[in-house]
Amino acid sequence: MRKFKATAVVLALGMLCGLGATQVQAGPAYDQVMKTKVLRVGTMTDSIPGAYYNDKKEWVGFDVDIADEIAKRNDLKVDRIPVTNKTRIAFIQQGRIDISVANMTHKRERDKSIDFSITYFFDGQKMLAKKGQFKDLKEFAGKKIATMQGTTSEINVKNLLKELGDKDVDKNVISFQKESECFQALKMGRVVGWSTDSSILIGYAAQAPGEFELVGDFFSDEPYGIGLPEDDSKLRDMVNFSLQDMWADGTYKKIYDKWYGPNTPYHFPLTKKVEIWP
Amino acid sequence: MLRLLEKSWFQYLTLLAVLVGLVYYFGWIFDFGYDFDWSVLYTVNQTYGENFGFKLLDGLALTLQITLFSSAAALLLGTFFGLGRLSHFKPLYWASTAFVEFFRNTPLLIQLFFWYFAFPMLLPETLREWAFANNFELISATFGLSVYTGAFMAEVIRAGLQSIPKGLLEAAYSSGLSYFQALRTIILPLAFRAIIPPLGSEFLNNMKNSSLAMVVGVAELCWQSQQIESLTFKGFEATTAATVIYLGLSLSISAFLNMVNLRLQVAPRDRRSLGYRIADVFFWPFEMGWSLLATPVTWALARRSDSLQYSPLRVLVRKVRRLLELVLGALWKIAFLGGLLLLLFKAGQGLFALNWEIIRGNFFTLLIWRFPAGEGSELFMGLGGLSFSLLMALIAITVSFGIGLVVGLGRMSKNRLLNVPCTLYIELVRGTPLIMVIFWVYFFLPIFTKSYLNVFWSATIALTLFTGAYLAEIVRGGIQNIPAGQFEAAMSTGLNYFQAMRRVILPQALKQMIPAIVGQFIAIFKDTSLAYVIGVLELTFVAQGLNNRLMVYPFEIYATVAFLYFVCCYAMSLYAGRLERKLSPERLRLQM
Repeated sequence: MRKFKATAVVLALGMLCGLGATQVQAGPAYDQVMKTKVLRVGTMTDSIPGAYYNDKKEWVGFDVDIADEIAKRNDLKVDRIPVTNKTRIAFIQQGRIDISVANMTHKRERDKSIDFSITYFFDGQKMLAKKGQFKDLKEFAGKKIATMQGTTSEINVKNLLKELGDKDVDKNVISFQKESECFQALKMGRVVGWSTDSSILIGYAAQAPGEFELVGDFFSDEPYGIGLPEDDSKLRDMVNFSLQDMWADGTYKKIYDKWYGPNTPYHFPLTKKVEIWP
Repeated sequence: MLRLLEKSWFQYLTLLAVLVGLVYYFGWIFDFGYDFDWSVLYTVNQTYGENFGFKLLDGLALTLQITLFSSAAALLLGTFFGLGRLSHFKPLYWASTAFVEFFRNTPLLIQLFFWYFAFPMLLPETLREWAFANNFELISATFGLSVYTGAFMAEVIRAGLQSIPKGLLEAAYSSGLSYFQALRTIILPLAFRAIIPPLGSEFLNNMKNSSLAMVVGVAELCWQSQQIESLTFKGFEATTAATVIYLGLSLSISAFLNMVNLRLQVAPRDRRSLGYRIADVFFWPFEMGWSLLATPVTWALARRSDSLQYSPLRVLVRKVRRLLELVLGALWKIAFLGGLLLLLFKAGQGLFALNWEIIRGNFFTLLIWRFPAGEGSELFMGLGGLSFSLLMALIAITVSFGIGLVVGLGRMSKNRLLNVPCTLYIELVRGTPLIMVIFWVYFFLPIFTKSYLNVFWSATIALTLFTGAYLAEIVRGGIQNIPAGQFEAAMSTGLNYFQAMRRVILPQALKQMIPAIVGQFIAIFKDTSLAYVIGVLELTFVAQGLNNRLMVYPFEIYATVAFLYFVCCYAMSLYAGRLERKLSPERLRLQM
């Protein structure tokens, strides 16, 4: 019995230490990063090829490489923290992560709560459907569409359908918690279309070649920015300068081609330029 | 000073002072580092042109709708399978047992995923199109909840019926009552008394579980609060509002249940309490309706004559009736067997068609995620999957046992200083869905503590707080079962309160509580699956991740996950059953 008690005490103490270790002092994120030399990056786990676990269970993807490159250029170590579209903003507000590289569209509404870097990826929203069923976006009005809760694509697709004459948008747009659930719903025929950023759609469509196709044009611009804590201009400068340097010396293009180049299943032509300050 | 502590006015005054102090501290002094904007709940938001308060009410309407429909369906399913578990007809008994054990021992979350994403693929084309043309999210969520709650209700109904001694039924028959009379006047009133209180708490659980419908895209209350959070980033306000609504709902359901429980008590006419009288008035219309309905039916089915001889017509009628019963009974049995065999065949076919290579290839991932290969910065070296779920459940049950013990004793204390906070904690937590508790700990604990926790610890703390309230009630029940004389005897031999508890009361009470605690452990283990919403790498999350990468094998992954959960829970419930039999006198299986 005594032995059991001792073990219990040790366990409890161990747990307390474990809890204590993850505590963090409040203060500007930049100073914290420079002091510890660790950059805490929030990254998605289920966005192919943005950031996901591959079959060796390694965390890889475009966003992962971008974050690594930023850290490398500033002599920092990366501590990757999984985020979802629900948590990526809250985490920055709470100081749980320093930057969030999590295919996040730069929106004014979001800019009220956090800051953003310059645009590092140019995406737009499209509609994915089974091959040969639809020719035009107009045909989707009045049909069931999948999207993700808490994303800009949810709002955009609702507005689009409203414009196209859909009377019952709130019923017809079904919002799931994860990308994989949307894809599953599309595959099983519960919805006829899935709308989100086209790079995500391409990634999923590539898993079942020939079965799905993108329909219609882009119906929104989705400039991706790296999420940063509000009013931390030193950190923002650090990230912005790193992105511009990457573009200037060709590293950006290399990373881009690795994930979205013509030789990948996720081919997505690079059409715009990262903003460069002289 | 000590004398003062025993006065109840002093206790209330102290509590009030503490409350005022807390309100003052958090209202004016403490810096949250967060701008509260409660107007988001009742004004029209300029960006979206919507009043989110109405959205929450829409969600509430949907929550109520799901709850009511699924509870009614669950009651039907529960009655059928509960009676099935008492049946002579073996295939029905086996099928009911399989139904109850399977659906009780897998997490609701996995079941909902199955009903929504996998089940339609098994349906014929026309039926599927019909389901898709209607509100399939709502249908599948309601159906999933009914099946899950139905399995629990079946056990409640079986246990209630079995608690009636067989001799009572025999005595009723031998005193000349007909089958219906015996059922109405002897068996059902007794069975109701045993069934209705636990059935009521299943109803309450069902309401709270309806919050999970959000994972299949049903816009109920929890979903709406999350929607407000993601559109306006006012998560604190939205979650508070949803929690308050859930609490109000739970409290009104509990108030109703308490009234039912009061009415079920047998009390002599001159010693009836006020509550009893109120309940009496409240239920009067129902009772009148029931007796108005029952009298003619009883009369119609009562034995006609006292004579032992039948007229020739009656003999014929009886013969035809007997024959009809026989034929219909046989037909029903054959139809049931046929249906069962078809189901088994289909299930076997489905299992055969699974890609076992995929299951074999990913089995260890599901068990341990990437354990020894994980990086040093990861919690427990990249441990995840089933072992993570078990670890969470183990930590939560161990810590919450301590909480339960303290809070349970505190609730039974006569001192308001202990009693009131403990009761508040228990009722607040039990009235809130677990998913809301998880959101609270995860999003809002950091605001108060100015520090953040790994998701694993947030989820574990949420589970611990949640289970603590339930264990406190188990502890209270266990202690109240010990005769009061024991405590008095212990005190009179000169032991103080703690000695009496430690040496006399708790050892006996704990023994009785063990099966209930194991049951709670099973529940908490299943509930770890909810941690997936905040991204803890437990079994459900890992399954989602795998599903996400493999994409084309959802059946394989979810079947394996359901199997893993089932094996663990079922093993524990078998163990709990054995403990229960060992600790309580033997019972025969009542057959009807």
